[in-house]
Amino acid sequence: MVAISSEGGMSIRDVGMVYRRGEQVTTALVGCNLEIPAGNWASLIGASGCGKSTLLRILADIVKPTSGTALIGGVSPAEARAARTYALVSQQSTMLPWRKILANVELGLEVAGVDKADRRRRAEEAIELVGLKGFEQAFPSELSGGMRQRAAIARALTLKPRFLLMDEPFGALDEITREKLNFELLRILKETSATLLLVTHSISEAIILSDTVAVMSPRPGRISHRVEIGFGHDRTADMRDDPQFAAYEAELRHALHGPAPTARPAVHTASTYATA
Amino acid sequence: MSSITVADAGSAEDTGRSETPGFRLPLGLILPPVLFTVALIAIWAALSAAGIIPRYILPSPEAIFNEFIKNYSVLTKHALYTISEALAGFVIGNCAAVLMAIVFSYSGLLKDAFYPFALISRAIPIIAFTPLLVIVLGRGLPPVIAVVSISVYFPAFLNMIRGLASADVDYHEMMHTLSASRWQRLRIVDWPASIPYLFAALKVSASAAFIGAIVAEWIGANKGLGYLVVISGQYFKLPTLWAAIIVAAGLTLILLAIVVLVERMLHRWTATATDL
Repeated sequence: MVAISSEGGMSIRDVGMVYRRGEQVTTALVGCNLEIPAGNWASLIGASGCGKSTLLRILADIVKPTSGTALIGGVSPAEARAARTYALVSQQSTMLPWRKILANVELGLEVAGVDKADRRRRAEEAIELVGLKGFEQAFPSELSGGMRQRAAIARALTLKPRFLLMDEPFGALDEITREKLNFELLRILKETSATLLLVTHSISEAIILSDTVAVMSPRPGRISHRVEIGFGHDRTADMRDDPQFAAYEAELRHALHGPAPTARPAVHTASTYATA
Repeated sequence: MSSITVADAGSAEDTGRSETPGFRLPLGLILPPVLFTVALIAIWAALSAAGIIPRYILPSPEAIFNEFIKNYSVLTKHALYTISEALAGFVIGNCAAVLMAIVFSYSGLLKDAFYPFALISRAIPIIAFTPLLVIVLGRGLPPVIAVVSISVYFPAFLNMIRGLASADVDYHEMMHTLSASRWQRLRIVDWPASIPYLFAALKVSASAAFIGAIVAEWIGANKGLGYLVVISGQYFKLPTLWAAIIVAAGLTLILLAIVVLVERMLHRWTATATDL
């Protein structure tokens, strides 16, 4: 193998994903390559079903690619998971309904075997950071969807992860709440030094929260464009009024909807002609 | 009807706490059944006094009431016997069911082997095994407790197998990314998720426990309410027979009420089942 250059970052190298069900072969991902240097913020953007979540789930060691390599901090996703170097925030809040917010935020530390006093302190810090102070003793059902996602982010932060994997974290929220939380997350990211991979289907969310936006095309899922967002990490909410923001938006919109990609069949049925 | 609540819409960022339901029972809910019962007893007393209901089938309410006062010590003695059998069987059967369901949730092979048997066992009348159990265990407490244990075992076992597998896959993915052990997943996710299923079974087996004990006593014991029913029937002591039936019904209701009360006390700390 070629020497690994991005020791501290995340890399996806020639990753492919093929599902077989009997005779039917579905190609979900082909030849995906993405290097995210340490400390960088990256987004995967694309339409539903383009495989962006699958790529993230490969890095989170939830699914294994059928070809290629994924590395997170220079090691395999399975090793990274065992070492607890990354944290995942998914679209649906995974707050256990029978635990209060504090106990839910403490969960990662509890599983990692951190002692009670220490995990209480760290959970309270994280809850304050995401702006949920005062809701420690509430049950998840007593909070709005946006507040539950804040709590999910707090849980991810308690583990002080080097890598944050976020799978459409605000995808189930309305536009107004979502934009508010985008800037909240931006503030939080500036306080950590985590490397971020965000999966989203919102162009503005991708620009606000990324240094690099990778655009994915469906059938079969692949990375078709890369757009570098040159705002640096000192960005503020004012960036939305920057003409450059609109320019990035247009560029990404064209990359997503532009000239239709040449149709490549996603489903090959070996017996199509034989049985006709 | 104002069926839309802002807090649950998942859209608003700031939300009020939803109100927890109280334990108050409105008078309007208690009064109708109480009045109906009183009316029923009055009609019964009138029909009995007029000689329309034969005394060898149903004695007057007064005769049964007098039986309670006169034979208080006899009824208590037999009731205590039945209570100890039913409760011992209830505890033994349910504990065994929960432990076995947990063991089986670890081992797919064991579960696959035993589960069909457990399903079929619903069709087997456990009571029919009482004579066999008497041969093996002798007359008295042991065969009756065995019948009760077996009859409460299967509902709890089947429901716990379902309940322990009921937690959402998202929770398991979250626990997986946190590198949780199998034991941690059981304790933190599967066990709380299974509790509503357990209580559904306990509510069924609360009545099954007393029915099992009483019927088993007909065959396998010379003490207990079941024995009292048989003996007083044979000697046409109808007030005693009816008093025994009323005591048995009352005991069943008390056990059911205890189960419901415990469930309500715990409901915040467990999943809420919507399909039970």
